[in-house]
Amino acid sequence: MNLSSIKISANFVLWIIASLVTAIFIYRLLFFSSDSFVFFLINDSLSILLLLVLTAYLIKTLAQKKPHPSALVLNIGIICAFIFLVIMFAENILNIQFQNISAKLVQQGMFENLLNTFYGLMFLGISSYWFASLKELYFYKQYRRKNTYFITMSVFIALSSISNLLFSATEYEFIYNTFLIISIILISFNALKISWIAFISKKEKISLLILSIIISALFILNLINNGKTDFNGTILMNYSPTIYQFFNLILLYGGIYFVVLFFTTLFHIPTAEAYDRKANEVSSLQYFSKLITQVLDIEELSETITDITTKVSSADAAWIVIKENGDRKILANRNIALVDADLINRFLLESGICENITETKICSLQKFGNKSQLSEKFGSIAISPLRSYNEIKGYLIAARKNELIFYDEDKTAINTFSDYASVAIENSLLLEQSIEKERLEKELDVAREIQKKILPAKDPEFEHLSITSVFIPAFEVGGDYYDFFEISNNKFGFIIADVSGKGISAAFIMAEVKGIFSSLSRMIESPRDILIKANEILQQTLNKKNFVSALYGIIDFENEIVRFARAGHCPALLVRGNSVETFKPSGIGLGLTNQDLFSNHLEEIKIDLKQNDTLVFYTDGITEAKNKEFEDFGERRFAEILIEYSNESVNKIANEVIKDVTLFSRNHSQYDDITLVILKWHKKNNIDGVKEWQNSTPQLKTKVL
Amino acid sequence: MAEFNTSIKNQGAVSIINLKGYLDAHTAPILENNFVDLIEKSCYQIVVDFKDLAYISSAGLGVFMAYIEKIRDSKGDIKLSGMSDKVYNIFDLLGFPLLYEIFKSEDEAVKKFTEIK
Repeated sequence: MNLSSIKISANFVLWIIASLVTAIFIYRLLFFSSDSFVFFLINDSLSILLLLVLTAYLIKTLAQKKPHPSALVLNIGIICAFIFLVIMFAENILNIQFQNISAKLVQQGMFENLLNTFYGLMFLGISSYWFASLKELYFYKQYRRKNTYFITMSVFIALSSISNLLFSATEYEFIYNTFLIISIILISFNALKISWIAFISKKEKISLLILSIIISALFILNLINNGKTDFNGTILMNYSPTIYQFFNLILLYGGIYFVVLFFTTLFHIPTAEAYDRKANEVSSLQYFSKLITQVLDIEELSETITDITTKVSSADAAWIVIKENGDRKILANRNIALVDADLINRFLLESGICENITETKICSLQKFGNKSQLSEKFGSIAISPLRSYNEIKGYLIAARKNELIFYDEDKTAINTFSDYASVAIENSLLLEQSIEKERLEKELDVAREIQKKILPAKDPEFEHLSITSVFIPAFEVGGDYYDFFEISNNKFGFIIADVSGKGISAAFIMAEVKGIFSSLSRMIESPRDILIKANEILQQTLNKKNFVSALYGIIDFENEIVRFARAGHCPALLVRGNSVETFKPSGIGLGLTNQDLFSNHLEEIKIDLKQNDTLVFYTDGITEAKNKEFEDFGERRFAEILIEYSNESVNKIANEVIKDVTLFSRNHSQYDDITLVILKWHKKNNIDGVKEWQNSTPQLKTKVL
Repeated sequence: MAEFNTSIKNQGAVSIINLKGYLDAHTAPILENNFVDLIEKSCYQIVVDFKDLAYISSAGLGVFMAYIEKIRDSKGDIKLSGMSDKVYNIFDLLGFPLLYEIFKSEDEAVKKFTEIK
């Protein structure tokens, strides 16, 4: 909406300009008379109107475009050069075309009239453009937009121009002269306002210096060549005395303005470099403070830091080196080969010159012995510590090539900057660590969740066999697994296993092991055969590094026996009366070796069960639980507890064992999963009193594959 | 957990890796790298000396399994020596004595290699 309305109004203004131009042409064709004052009054009124509208339009257009001052200056200059050529050669060219043009212009024919009007309008347009451009320059980077002076000057320029028509060469010429003098004073005063020069770069200042002197010379030459008796002056006076005067005043303004600009620039040049550097510093710090909150990627951040460092310190190369596990790591290297950076690092940090600096230090590579090995001739180094909590985490290093060396002013810039860099890098590293930590914790959560789902939710219950199980997971899932299987009405299978490794990979192997044993236990009724089959499967599927220790057993309720085989797992313990018997039949861990070797060395043990026989199965989390002195809980301590509570219920025994292990290792974190399964045999009185454990353990049914 | 490091020395054609400290899931990659380096250099006669090893976890044991096949295929072997009773127990439970030759001392293990030749 807004845009289109602007467009319409801009078009409208163009329409007005076009109509005014047409009106001037027609009016001049119809009524031209070089003596008539009334003719010029109306003619100049139209021209002034056109000038006002056109200038307002150009000012608005320029304000919207916001051109760079250097571009404006260049445009002014080009047009000025063009006008210079026009003024110089117009008479000659026109004389070739029309003999004695000067005389003809006074007594105009229709064609000369048109030509004169066109010529005058061109100068009107150009002076209007100059005025608009000079106004734009006047207000560029003026923070206090006090335009009183400029408006006053404009008013007097206008008055002076009109008075050229009204009072010049009359008895009231003093009025014309007064306005002219005031205008010149105001123009000179306003031409001093050149605040924008401070804001352009050194390079631009140098080109501006040359441009401004040329342009000012052109303006002044144009002014000199545009006297009332000169050819060009005659034509313009003939077109409109007001416009003639306006054009001259603008030429004057331009001439003075560019002379002043030349000298201002000249005096700014010595400080231009310092200003450039400060401006660079400020802009990079602004850029950088944004980065601190934005950058999540340490590599990207380092790249940016080195990039800005080269800019801030005008260095040829920059790199960041950080200390990591007693080693040095280059995070980013800009304009320098890694090998070179490495060589210089070694020189700076191992010779002891720069190891413990507290602020930026400038070092020369003069004494660097391996200088010839560098692929480029770096000569001067500025090294800054990257600190966090008073500890040096790394260094930001800038280097200059050849004979260029760093000075103290560079030092302050780099020093300020490296402080920001320290904070940013520290933030980024901390963020990276916490993301990694969170990821690991999530992973372990998943692993624990899997393990929890794999292990039986409830212990089965039997008339002649009481069962308890305790499982305490370690922080990093340890891979312990145990399970119970219904085999037939009078047989019950159980397994206890430990998967090698930890975390999510161990959890996945556990899941596989559970699948294998759930199905094998229903097909095979011999612990030894089940383990042999399990080894065959695991040998194929497991990674070479992984293996599973397992102990599989079957309780035969009818014959009152337990049979089990051990594949690399902790021994089984039998508590009978006041003694503990350890059963460690031969057997290699699952997945470690081929079928022949495995089955040749796998023993199966059969024990006849007696009243109150207690069978204890466990994982190494119990016997290898550590105390502060890094001693193992061990088998002896384990056995003592079992004997002490041998007459108690399975739950009581398990509780006491766990209590003791926990107490023993209270000053040491639990490193491995702890699993304890205890079975206690109650002598059968009648042979038919069979169990009902299916009903009491619903999860066992659903688990059957 | 606690620290772990290894050192390698050569005795004739036999490379001896000395283990020191605690070998578990976190430190196992150090030993893995040793094996990879030796295999790269075609050193297939390896003795691993355990006399300074305080503890080994299942992940530590896994490292030996990862490379043994390749080494034996190249007519080499990994022989183990100098285990404390505690460490030996861990190996024994898993049946490692059936898979690896375990010697009391480093010298015996090295000698076994040279005898074969």
